Amino acid sequence: MAAAAAAAAAAAAGSGPAREEEGPAGEAAAPQPQAPTSAPGARLSRLPLARVKALVKADPDVTLAGQEAIFILARAAELFVETIAKDAYCCAQQGKRKTLQRRDLDNAIEAVDEFAFLEGTLD
Amino acid sequence: MAERPEDLNLPNAVITRIIKEALPEGVNISKEARSAISRAASVFVLYATSCANNFAMKGKRKTLNASDVLSAMEEMEFQRFVTPLKEALEAYRREQKGKKEASEQKKKDKDKKTDSEEQDKSRDEDNDEDEERLEEEEQNEEEDVDN
Repeated sequence: MAAAAAAAAAAAAGSGPAREEEGPAGEAAAPQPQAPTSAPGARLSRLPLARVKALVKADPDVTLAGQEAIFILARAAELFVETIAKDAYCCAQQGKRKTLQRRDLDNAIEAVDEFAFLEGTLD
Repeated sequence: MAERPEDLNLPNAVITRIIKEALPEGVNISKEARSAISRAASVFVLYATSCANNFAMKGKRKTLNASDVLSAMEEMEFQRFVTPLKEALEAYRREQKGKKEASEQKKKDKDKKTDSEEQDKSRDEDNDEDEERLEEEEQNEEEDVDN
C-alpha cells in the first residue's frame, strides 16, 4: 500500500501547477481545494466538477449523475480541448501562423469526423 | 444568464491553460478561437451526457455512471479517450478511497479523544443514573403495594 501511495505522490508531484485554477472557480463540489494531504488529487481534474455537473443537469432527460460520471466527463472534456486545439493547430501550421484563429477551428471541425457534432453549434 | 445550455461555459482560465499545455511553446491563441473551443467543450459535455444517458436508460438505471460515459465515448468515436479515462477513473477511485479512510481515521481519533474526556463526565452521570433508578424502584414498590 505504501509503495503505491509513494508512486502516486511522485507522479503527481511531477505534474506541476494545475491546482491554482480551482481556487478562484470556487465551487464547493470541486475536489478538495486544500492540497496538503494527498498530492494525487492535484492532477486528476482541472475543470471544476460543479460546472460540469451544471451542464449535465441542463439535460432534461437526465435524472441523476454519479460523482464518478461527472468526474469522467470533466476529464473527457479536458482531453477533448487538448485534441481539438492540436488539430486546429495543424491547420494554423499549414498557414505558417503562430496564432490559432477561429477559422483554424472551423477547418478542423470540417475535416475531422469526430467533430461533426459541433457543426452549427459554435455560432 | 444562461439562455441555452451551451452558454454554460467552463472557466476561461482553465480552458486557456489546457490549450496552452497542449500546444508547442510560443504558439498563441486568439480570443475568438479560445472562446469557440470553450463553447465546443460545453457542447461536448452536453452531447456526451445525452449519449451516456441513453446507455443508462438501456440499463434501466436512473443514475448515470462511469461506464455509461465510457460507452458514450466509444459511441461518439472518441475511443482514444477510453484508455486515459479508465486510468483517470482508477486514480480517482483510489483517491476517494484514501480520502474516505483518512476522514474515518480522523473521526476515530476524534472519538478516542472525546471518549477519554467523557469518561470523567460519565462517572458523575452514572452516579446520577443510579440515584434515579433507586427512586424509580421505590416508586414501583409503592405501586405494587397499591395493587
